[in-house]
Amino acid sequence: MTMTTIKTAWTALADPVRAWWAGLGRLPRMGVYALLIFGALLLPNDQIGSFMSPYSDWQGLLFFPIGGYILLAIGLNVVVGQAGLLDLGYVAFFAVGAYSMAVLGKIYHWDFWEIIAVGIAVTALSGVILGAPTLRLRGDYLAIVTLGFGEIVRITAQNTAAIGGPNGMNGIPHPPNLTTWAFPSAQPFSALGLSGLTPFKYAELDSRPYYYLMVLAIVLAIIFSKRLANSRVGRAWAAIREDEDAAELMGVPTFKFKLAAFAIGASIGGLAGVLYSTQTVSIIPDDFPFILSATILAAVVLGGSGNIPGVMLGAFLIAWVPERIRFLAEYRVLIFGAVLVLMMILRPEGLLPSRMRKAEFAEGTGGMGSMGGEVSTSKKTVGAGE
Amino acid sequence: MLLEINDIHVHYGKIAALKGVSVEVDEGEIVTLIGANGAGKTTILKTISGLRPLSTGRILFDGRDISSMPGHKRVLAGIGQAPEGRGIFPGMTVTDNLLMGAYARKGDFSKDLQEAFDLFPRLAERKDQMGGTMSGGEQQMLAIGRALMAKPKVLLLDEPSMGLAPMLVQQIFSIIEEINRRGTTVLLVEQNANQALRLAHRAYVLETGSIVKSAPARELLDDPQVRAAYLGAGATD
Repeated sequence: MTMTTIKTAWTALADPVRAWWAGLGRLPRMGVYALLIFGALLLPNDQIGSFMSPYSDWQGLLFFPIGGYILLAIGLNVVVGQAGLLDLGYVAFFAVGAYSMAVLGKIYHWDFWEIIAVGIAVTALSGVILGAPTLRLRGDYLAIVTLGFGEIVRITAQNTAAIGGPNGMNGIPHPPNLTTWAFPSAQPFSALGLSGLTPFKYAELDSRPYYYLMVLAIVLAIIFSKRLANSRVGRAWAAIREDEDAAELMGVPTFKFKLAAFAIGASIGGLAGVLYSTQTVSIIPDDFPFILSATILAAVVLGGSGNIPGVMLGAFLIAWVPERIRFLAEYRVLIFGAVLVLMMILRPEGLLPSRMRKAEFAEGTGGMGSMGGEVSTSKKTVGAGE
Repeated sequence: MLLEINDIHVHYGKIAALKGVSVEVDEGEIVTLIGANGAGKTTILKTISGLRPLSTGRILFDGRDISSMPGHKRVLAGIGQAPEGRGIFPGMTVTDNLLMGAYARKGDFSKDLQEAFDLFPRLAERKDQMGGTMSGGEQQMLAIGRALMAKPKVLLLDEPSMGLAPMLVQQIFSIIEEINRRGTTVLLVEQNANQALRLAHRAYVLETGSIVKSAPARELLDDPQVRAAYLGAGATD
């Protein structure tokens, strides 16, 4: 059948790549990373745009939703993919970051770079505040409560006059220009479509400088998240994801680490919010609906929860495909939905799952696989047994 | 007394799972808790290791009151557990599972790993295999080996024979005996009363949340009531 053919074809394609990557030394890997970053910097090119996005502004699209979704997905992946906590209210942190930028920038006239640091701290704190009472719950109970929190944040913004109520905030300042230096109109820059581009001048019309800022944020988030995954913290998260009770029995302070996952995931979401807010100039509470949480979660699951290249690919597809198929007009959402359903039939573990995640999936545990009906009374848990 | 459980009550919501249970485990002993499904055996172990909160009562370990100590700290205090259903981390290799057992400790664990592999040669053969792909018996060995990596003073074992073939049950029980011989105190919860009573020094019989009998294990093997209830009518040897 065609489905199995596609499946085997994908495996045949992905496995050698994985093996090649595993065999690569440190230095060649750095080279590959550098090439990827360089490639990302060249993406806002008109020629690429005319193919990738003939119906909408490609450079704007690259910043948000594509770049924004990727950053959000990396952040949500810390919570869902690494610690295995199903968070349906992740958009709350995106909103907190965006409103931090708006309030501190417009009302208090803080400098953008200060706001980034403070915004990250504020969202991390909001992660702790939302996490402390909710993380005593597990599985679907946690999911429902986080869903509630996402809505609470949006509705609070809607009803708080000081931050604009339902009209939101506008006139959010852009970052100050670092330099107005522009690429010269000479080779090789003109061939790459870079001539005249001012990469560090943050103006209204050109999305590219913001996109570069987003790329920087994504690169930093990847490094941070990757380093965490390979540390003691990452091992604790993996244990919690696979079997929370067993993790506690190994001496892992599970509650503390779950809270840390929430705070770190939140701060990455907050960073995305700050960047989004400074570029779009005006935000309203309805920019942060539940469906955005669901979309980012879909990106994580589609790409391969727990694996950074996977979730990035997932986020890219979720952000890009609906724009690319705009010619289908009102059918595009239908087609997009069908593609998602199809993907989950063909590859329920995601497009690029990690090896670990695959094994967990087979066992029916690990993050969202383990949505057992478990509630805990105090900080201890009710097991299924006696 | 190494471990002393003093009149503990544990509730699941409004339902009382343990109604005043007292158990004592002395250093170097193998003590077993036997009883039917739902009697509260697993709850006792979970309460000792800190996965379940107490309603009333006290747990003393090594002379200290640990009743309100969080679970992960009890590991450092010296309580190790191979949980019900084994609790293997399916996405980690055998070696990584074992190393998770030493998570609370610091230092070099190569010697402890070697010890675990000596005790369970089967694990050494499969050290790079994912935990989730192992058979039930191998997972049980891994769960016990992993608990030992924390260098516990007392090892809590929750139904190590569950779902295993009789041959494997024999093997697991002789390993438990060996672990005890090397100096670790063992508290064993079992439905397989016959095997457990042969292995243990002392035993408690649990019925719907209360201890109904406690005696040296050998005596219980010959106790007509126990024989009728837990050893089956045909258990003659």
